[in-house]
Amino acid sequence: MAIGQHAAPASGTRIAADVGGTFTDVAVFDERSGALRLGKTLTTPQHLVDGIESGVARADSVFSDAALFLHGTTVAINTMLERTGARTALVITAGFRDIYEIGRVNRPEAYNLYFRKHKPLVPRALRYEVHERVTAAGEVLKPLDEAELERLVPILRREGVEALAILFLHSYRNPAHELQAKRYFAEHCPDLFITVSHELSQEYREFERASTTAANAYVGPRVSHYLAEIDQHLERSGFPGTFLVVQSTGGLYDGDRARRECIRMLESGPAAGVIGTQALCAAIDLPSAIAFDMGGTTAKAGVIHHGRVLIAGTAMIGGYNEGLPIQIPMIDIQEVGTGGGSIARLAAGGALRVGPESAGAAPGPACYGLGGAEPTVTDANLLLGRLAADRFLGGDMGLDVSAAETALRDRVASPLGLDLYRAADGIVRIATASMSNVVRRVTTERGLDARDFAMVAYGGAGPLHAALVARELRIGKLIIPNAPGHFSAFGMLLADLRRDYVRTLFARLEDVAFDDIEMIFRAMEEEGTRSVHEAAANVSAVHLTRGADMRYVGQEHAVAVDIPREHFLNGDRAAIKKCFDEEHRVRYGFASETERAEIVSLRCSINGVMAKPQLSRIKVGGAQSSSSALRAKRPVYFTDHGFLETPAYDRAQLEANNRIDGPALIEEYASTTVVLPGDALTVDAYGNLIITVGNS
Amino acid sequence: MMDTPAQPNAKAQRTTVADPIVTEIVRNALVGITEEMKTNLMRTAYNMIIYEALDFTVGLFNAAGDTVSIGLGLPMFIRGMSETVKAKLRHFGVDGIEPGDVLLTNDAYTTGSHLNHMTFSVPIFADGELVGFSACMAHWQDIGGTLGGITTDIYAEGLQMPIVKMYRAGKLNEELFEIIRMNVRIPDRAIGDLRAQIAAVKTGERRFLELIQKYGKEAVLSAIEAIMDHSEALAREQVRAIPDGIYEAEAFMDDDGVEQGRHIPIKVRITVAGDEMTADLTQVSAQVRGFYNSGMTAGVSACQVAFKCLTAALDLPINDGCFRALKIVLPAGRVVSAVRPAAMRWWMTFPMTVVDSIFKALAPAVPARVIAGHHADLVIANVHGRHPRDQQLFLYLGGLIGGGWGAKLTEDGMNATIAINDGDTHNGPTEQAEAKFPILVERYALREDSGGAGKHRGGLGNEQVVRALSDIMVNTQIERVECRPWGLFGGLSAAGNQVVFQRNGEAPVVHATGKVFAQHLKPGDRYMLRSGGGGGFGSPLDRKLEDIESDVREGYVSIAAAREQYGAVIDPATMRARRTDSAALRARMRAAGLPRDVPFESLGGRVPDPQIGEVALDPIGTELKALMPRAFQLRCRCC
Repeated sequence: MAIGQHAAPASGTRIAADVGGTFTDVAVFDERSGALRLGKTLTTPQHLVDGIESGVARADSVFSDAALFLHGTTVAINTMLERTGARTALVITAGFRDIYEIGRVNRPEAYNLYFRKHKPLVPRALRYEVHERVTAAGEVLKPLDEAELERLVPILRREGVEALAILFLHSYRNPAHELQAKRYFAEHCPDLFITVSHELSQEYREFERASTTAANAYVGPRVSHYLAEIDQHLERSGFPGTFLVVQSTGGLYDGDRARRECIRMLESGPAAGVIGTQALCAAIDLPSAIAFDMGGTTAKAGVIHHGRVLIAGTAMIGGYNEGLPIQIPMIDIQEVGTGGGSIARLAAGGALRVGPESAGAAPGPACYGLGGAEPTVTDANLLLGRLAADRFLGGDMGLDVSAAETALRDRVASPLGLDLYRAADGIVRIATASMSNVVRRVTTERGLDARDFAMVAYGGAGPLHAALVARELRIGKLIIPNAPGHFSAFGMLLADLRRDYVRTLFARLEDVAFDDIEMIFRAMEEEGTRSVHEAAANVSAVHLTRGADMRYVGQEHAVAVDIPREHFLNGDRAAIKKCFDEEHRVRYGFASETERAEIVSLRCSINGVMAKPQLSRIKVGGAQSSSSALRAKRPVYFTDHGFLETPAYDRAQLEANNRIDGPALIEEYASTTVVLPGDALTVDAYGNLIITVGNS
Repeated sequence: MMDTPAQPNAKAQRTTVADPIVTEIVRNALVGITEEMKTNLMRTAYNMIIYEALDFTVGLFNAAGDTVSIGLGLPMFIRGMSETVKAKLRHFGVDGIEPGDVLLTNDAYTTGSHLNHMTFSVPIFADGELVGFSACMAHWQDIGGTLGGITTDIYAEGLQMPIVKMYRAGKLNEELFEIIRMNVRIPDRAIGDLRAQIAAVKTGERRFLELIQKYGKEAVLSAIEAIMDHSEALAREQVRAIPDGIYEAEAFMDDDGVEQGRHIPIKVRITVAGDEMTADLTQVSAQVRGFYNSGMTAGVSACQVAFKCLTAALDLPINDGCFRALKIVLPAGRVVSAVRPAAMRWWMTFPMTVVDSIFKALAPAVPARVIAGHHADLVIANVHGRHPRDQQLFLYLGGLIGGGWGAKLTEDGMNATIAINDGDTHNGPTEQAEAKFPILVERYALREDSGGAGKHRGGLGNEQVVRALSDIMVNTQIERVECRPWGLFGGLSAAGNQVVFQRNGEAPVVHATGKVFAQHLKPGDRYMLRSGGGGGFGSPLDRKLEDIESDVREGYVSIAAAREQYGAVIDPATMRARRTDSAALRARMRAAGLPRDVPFESLGGRVPDPQIGEVALDPIGTELKALMPRAFQLRCRCC
């Protein structure tokens, strides 16, 4: 980027594009006017760049005018889930080629005789063993013999291998053999996409690391191709700025690194939503919040705790039961298969179930009139009056009330002997209960109390159900941001550059040599700092955070603990122990001050702070909303109340300080916010809807 | 005699009619609560068996002790907690239990299992009424008793804790605490696990009470009964689809570890009549001298596990409604209903073969629902010694390597998956084991040709080679070495489990038995565990040639086995089957009654095994001595 020399002004626009399965969302921030412009368009699976381009056009923007392009994409995760990646080989320590297939041998579906465990991305025939061995202490027991690598070269060629993953045991302690093999293959097979395990994960657990490494190699060529396509498009469009990709941590990284470490972008869209929540919290002085994102097929939850986003060390891609583990830091996002399209069905014995089967986009809910015969959560919301048949997607798509009614009556209400509206309400309540469980998984199960949090709700269906979920969890404050349907793209505009490092190092706290630890941290921090500066020119500051994975001696599972830098610099064992005890108490309800602790891994993250767009303020009004904001009144069904005459407001017409008591509906393009009886809504200075949830 | 009657109309005591909406919300919540209890325990436990292997079970029970929801932890403990809660109820009486109590026992004949299974429960009171229990069993790594060798009664197996109150109305019983501390080898860990278990049951109690607070006591308790009724209805519907009849099967265990080579019969008789099933285990062997006995609870668990697998495997939560359509006939004193003072240390092994035998019995009736025999053992080596770093005792649970599962009517068996005793049990990472213990894992790999041949092939077993880096003691208690996992409908038996030792750099030896006790290994010596495969389903001569080609390419099946067992002639140059030659060979084999099944392995004592020799002994072997002293000094560079 060359400020001032090109047509792009010093502060041009920044464009964010979140390409999802169904929609491509674009958010554009114009730094000159402070305006935020949005575009939504259907994703174009054959050529994703087209969707991005038309989304940008819908947001009245052009690349030639932009200083930054921020991108979140499902290309990596879809390549994994749809198994459309490169022909990949794995080179691994002799005796261990099957660990990728053996995995952890568990059967989560303990009674299912037809249970299928994970399926490796690399078939057994393409997993090659090499004699070499490093011990747990990092000592070389058996040197790597390059003659064995040499023998593999023609085999890889003959087998048509496009990508290569390399893993040797204990490479987190001593990566020499992995580096040697990487150099060798890079020289002798220059066309291969090569990934070595320690560059992605320096943590013990060979299966998880193998899976991470293989997945990176597997998606690598396709992701590289995709990123190159975008580069070309940007070049053709005269884009003068910097192109950055969102990682699963919500941090940004540059295209070069994204091409090598593709696996870090797996969950970029959902992560950006959580980052948006974090930025929103900072702007409105909210220390802690739950980020709640509900779309057509799933609901997701993440957590901001005292300003920090909670991060997990491993995720199972494709689900816990048969998924593949990826062992890198990611935002801790839990997901449940409940969305607007979730189908309500009767199981044997008359039990009512909602989801996980979804009507998807085709045939979709019964009310879409596209042939869906089964009732869904969206059909229930329509019958309850919460969705307006003539204003769905801004009126672009009419909804068929009678089709919803038929589906719900015939398949749920009549068989259960329930009144139609009680049945519809029941479906929404069941969906709410299961979404509440997903929020509990990121709070209660992490030792956090959901009642201490506010909830930020977004995604197309989030604002429709958020108040119910909040009541279920006794959350007192609910925030619906502007353009909730574009919130992930918006979040990208607020992200920072980020690098994460984790390095396994088993040591008892009482024996720790702080000089050595300092060397390790310094090396990681220097590399990270250099890397964020290389990624973009406009880094205003670099923030370093340190931590360690710790456990009591004898425990197996370690807890990730944030530890202030000075404790390491001062060699303050007692203070580090105290941080760990405290975190352990928060997470598990007890701590043991007298017990010895040990360090399992060192962690640090490097944040390259980018200048952020400021949230713009909306027109200030009084407590009473303007008359133009009220669209109409209609009967809406509420649990314990039945139908109540309920006003529907046009969100675009609301002004700061407006106050609306529930029951009420706030409508906008692609989303409706439900304000329950007993709840009260105010509009804040930025146009966020702040809902005080009454006690139910 | 356990003669659990099937309960055709187990009637609700509650008069409130359950609301279908609240019922579904409560159902979700119950599954969520048991998940949360599981997460809580797993993350705070001190021993690898709980955390990595997930050898524990958590659950919620009603005021009568019936299962309302139990976690998916350990299938074979599906009955253990409910029966333990009921025993505690009988012991104290409802009036003898008060809020804040924490009840404990590890009585082997109550839990049906070994003494390591410390089982805690707390009563849940709402408005002064006892409404249920929250309970948790977890495997303690050490409970005293012998570290290896044979036991022939329970007294040699460690601390026996009768039914006691660890906490009485919230107050800790310090004396009990001290009794435990004095009787276990690593008291700090034991106490850590104890604390983790109590935290887990308290979580269950708290969350159950929140549910009652939100929806009301009557509504929640009625919903629970409705959930049980739904599960019952679902199971009955599935049983009704099984043709009425009497179905029998017999299988054998290798021996009891005392009298080597004397097979032990496991004979089951299943009767299906309408929507009810009866499992009769009367003809299962009497209890044995060795430590392979389990209690009545375990025998019943085996039947219920099989029943759950065959009826509604994915219906959650697991509750006692699921089993109302199953009647079990099991007299006391059988090897799976043993009475004091039977030795119980390896309680979990025999019931697994009971489960497989029930599938075998029902195969003619419901071929699409059953599965061929599996390796049916956890394949564990118990290793202990003094760590060269600090001369402290260490206990290493080696193995849990997984093994092959049986093939099915429509698909191949799973490779390398944990036996049916366990569910979400994980093996331990090699990188972790090597950092903690003075061992080197040299190989962890699939066993080629170990899956039973069939139209659908059984899954492959594994092998793990471990080298001692200091003096260690090794015990293996492995079964089904001789009595191999069987095939169904013409499918062949799979390879059985095996144990191999190699000492002083001499030729490795395969043991005729998997029960190899108290073996001393010197630095540089090795042991190898091999798990069996799963049995095949249907004749291997009917397996598609493309599938065989793929198996050979992947190295699951050797070219030789493809020929001998499948009648497929593979061209080694192209790795493709010669179509005409294969058809001719298959016709000849069919006419000759080939391939022949070999249901019993005959190892004939200690025989040399060439395969372990493939693991490169050198230069690792020669460099090992020089390395060993350094390996531990340098274990951590910052120390």
